Amino acid sequence: MAVDRNTIIDAMSQVKATSNNEGLIPAFNVLVTQAPTTLWNNFADLITNSVDPDLKPAAEALLVNAAHECGYHTGYGIITSEEWDAVCGPMIEGVEDVLHGAYAVFTAWGWAKSEIVELIPGEKMVVRAYDYYEADVVQRGNLDSPCAYMIQGVSAAFMDLAYGGQYDPTGKTGLRTFKCEQVKGIECGDDYGEFVVTRA
Amino acid sequence: MATEQLTAWVIDHKFDRETCRHSMNGFDAVLHCHHYASLYCQLADDAEQFNGRDLLKRSSELSFLNVLSNYFAEHEISDLTDRIALAEEYWQMCGFGTLKFDHVGELSAAAHMNHSHVDEGWIKKWGNRDKPVNFIGQGYVAAALAAIYGLPAGSYDVYETQSIVSGADASCFSLVRK
Repeated sequence: MAVDRNTIIDAMSQVKATSNNEGLIPAFNVLVTQAPTTLWNNFADLITNSVDPDLKPAAEALLVNAAHECGYHTGYGIITSEEWDAVCGPMIEGVEDVLHGAYAVFTAWGWAKSEIVELIPGEKMVVRAYDYYEADVVQRGNLDSPCAYMIQGVSAAFMDLAYGGQYDPTGKTGLRTFKCEQVKGIECGDDYGEFVVTRA
Repeated sequence: MATEQLTAWVIDHKFDRETCRHSMNGFDAVLHCHHYASLYCQLADDAEQFNGRDLLKRSSELSFLNVLSNYFAEHEISDLTDRIALAEEYWQMCGFGTLKFDHVGELSAAAHMNHSHVDEGWIKKWGNRDKPVNFIGQGYVAAALAAIYGLPAGSYDVYETQSIVSGADASCFSLVRK
């Protein structure tokens, strides 16, 4: 059975994140928050435009890393969750299906309207994102270089989970076996963001 | 016997099937985990040369001040007690922990969190540390007080006087009008 993106998006977009009496939202083996996208965008925008130009790549790498670790741990929590089993489980026949399903969930939860457009198992993945909140930092004009750090990090993490070996809760192994380069961005004037993931 | 009308945040959660974005009360919203928040706070903390802590606090204040001010205006909330209760409730609703203002005045205020996503997430990831890390919370309490009094961002200095991440039972914040 092929992965049915629309079914996953319709079902998973209805999952509610509700806080407990401690004001916390434990879900998918992590604690989550549901915050305005501007919280994360503001900081990424301010920090990358505050540092000296020669330090900007280092700041960008750290923003990508935040998403890489987030995507690895939360991604694992998602693909081992009851919600995943119920909605996506019947559609999954192999690792590649897990990846396609993961991007449907990624889309359903508002991270990016995205899908895999090319996948060479164990080697390479190309993802396109047609709408994503990280592009909102630009309201007029275009950036010289893309800034979808979250999608970059999470995309590398998804390949880590698929082909980087057994999940390691400590992140010492399995994490950072892949890297991601963003080659197009809505924030740069392109019609969509494009992300190329290859072995690190 | 007096009755008490509790103010409760009216959640308006929408999913736009075309853009695949979620909005809460008119503002795009997204789920992120404690790894993400911890690493953002660590980056802010490390970027000492560029006032990284202040940048994250400011990012939080600007973001949440918009949400709170817009909500108060849209729902015609002008009562001080209601505004305080709603600001406390919204923080909890977002999953950032509990927030209680101990006292509120236009020139100064104090607040505490018995639970904190940022602190507890940091401890889960790396353990305790001796300095505060909740720059997002510092920005939020500044935003809340500014929204309560209809003031712009940057109106208050915030001091985190004790922190869950350092082993305290609660994180405490003191606010002073600039």
